[in-house]
Amino acid sequence: LCMVAACSAVPINDLLDRASQRSDMLHSLSTTLTKDLSNHVPPVGWTMMPRPPLCHTSSLQTPNDKEQALQLSESDLMSLARSLLQAWQDPLVDLSNSANSLLHPSQSSISNKIRELQEHSKSLGDGLDILSGKVGPAAQAISSLPYRGSNDIGEDNISKLTNFHFLLSCFRRDSHKIDSFLKVLRCRAAKVQPEMC
Amino acid sequence: LLLVVTHAKGTRYSPPGKPALTRCRSPEKETFTCWWEPGSDGGLPTTYALYYRKESSDTVFECPDYRTAGENSCFFNKNDTSIWVNYNITVVATNALGRTFSDPVDIDVVYIVKPNPPEQVAVTVMEDKGWPFIRVSWEPPHKADTRSGWITLIYEIRVKLEEENDWEMHLAGQQKMFNIFSLRSGGKYLVQVRCKPDHGYWSEWSPSSYVKVPDYFHREKSVWIL
Repeated sequence: LCMVAACSAVPINDLLDRASQRSDMLHSLSTTLTKDLSNHVPPVGWTMMPRPPLCHTSSLQTPNDKEQALQLSESDLMSLARSLLQAWQDPLVDLSNSANSLLHPSQSSISNKIRELQEHSKSLGDGLDILSGKVGPAAQAISSLPYRGSNDIGEDNISKLTNFHFLLSCFRRDSHKIDSFLKVLRCRAAKVQPEMC
Repeated sequence: LLLVVTHAKGTRYSPPGKPALTRCRSPEKETFTCWWEPGSDGGLPTTYALYYRKESSDTVFECPDYRTAGENSCFFNKNDTSIWVNYNITVVATNALGRTFSDPVDIDVVYIVKPNPPEQVAVTVMEDKGWPFIRVSWEPPHKADTRSGWITLIYEIRVKLEEENDWEMHLAGQQKMFNIFSLRSGGKYLVQVRCKPDHGYWSEWSPSSYVKVPDYFHREKSVWIL
């Protein structure tokens, strides 16, 4: 989001504004990707599809309504957003590798979008590292959410498509959480310019 | 499939036809409603029930509130609404001859958000160096909690001359105010505003606000003649 040296000068509300623009984009991109893919998952793939509770991040306790979310402190919101983002570093590499060998009519566009996802989540991660330092020490706590994947996400094309779709739908939900937490943080920081919220 | 058909004085009775879940909508990411369309009643008194199960739970619940949102609907209040959790929803039609299930629908409330239209839309004629422009201002729908950042709205405005068919569209972003220039002298304009949450659907348009632009062109011309 910005160079480490230059960031000290940027107010925290501007940083949060940039971060939530990035997370918004990240989520929109994952939505487009999930839709591109779901058009080509064969019926048998849907029956094999793991359910969302099996996402590797589902063990992380996150709020599931407004009341719970708004009760969280700035540090907790930041720590949740960073834990989720961090948990996707390795799976995004797997997705990127398998996208190259995916048999799908829009394979190259999917590949490009996955690369974009990686770039956006990398720069969002860098931005949140800087922001968390400003929010407070508790914001820097990261929960570890191990991903037990392999470099290749499936042997035949149907299981590949299915796992690909499953991973993306997990990422889609997590990126929505990240985006929501950052937007709440943005409004808390924007008290000085309330026309934003 | 076994279809039971009874004949009684020429009337055919049958189990109910298949109901269909047609729509689910949340106006503010805090509550939601689902609507269904009944199938045929099979000539008998037929009742409808909605059942749901949340992901990672085996417990099936019945609809908490059939009244609030009107006929053939189920309303989920704040306590019954979770987000980032899929609801698997089915409607069951029952009459004396049997039961028929709708196709189940999976929804996550975060993806069915369609807010109410913006409120308190105000249109005023202002002037800049003798040229009129209109200022449109509005408030977010009161149910949407934009203050806390729980929901982020962007707005779109459209204006049209009363006698014309085409609307002129303007995207306002997150602003709650917008100025429109290049107006026809003496024209009577209709103005509407709508809003869209991040990752949701556009609201309906607000009711039309009317505004009449003063006859500035005549005034200009008279200046020239002088």
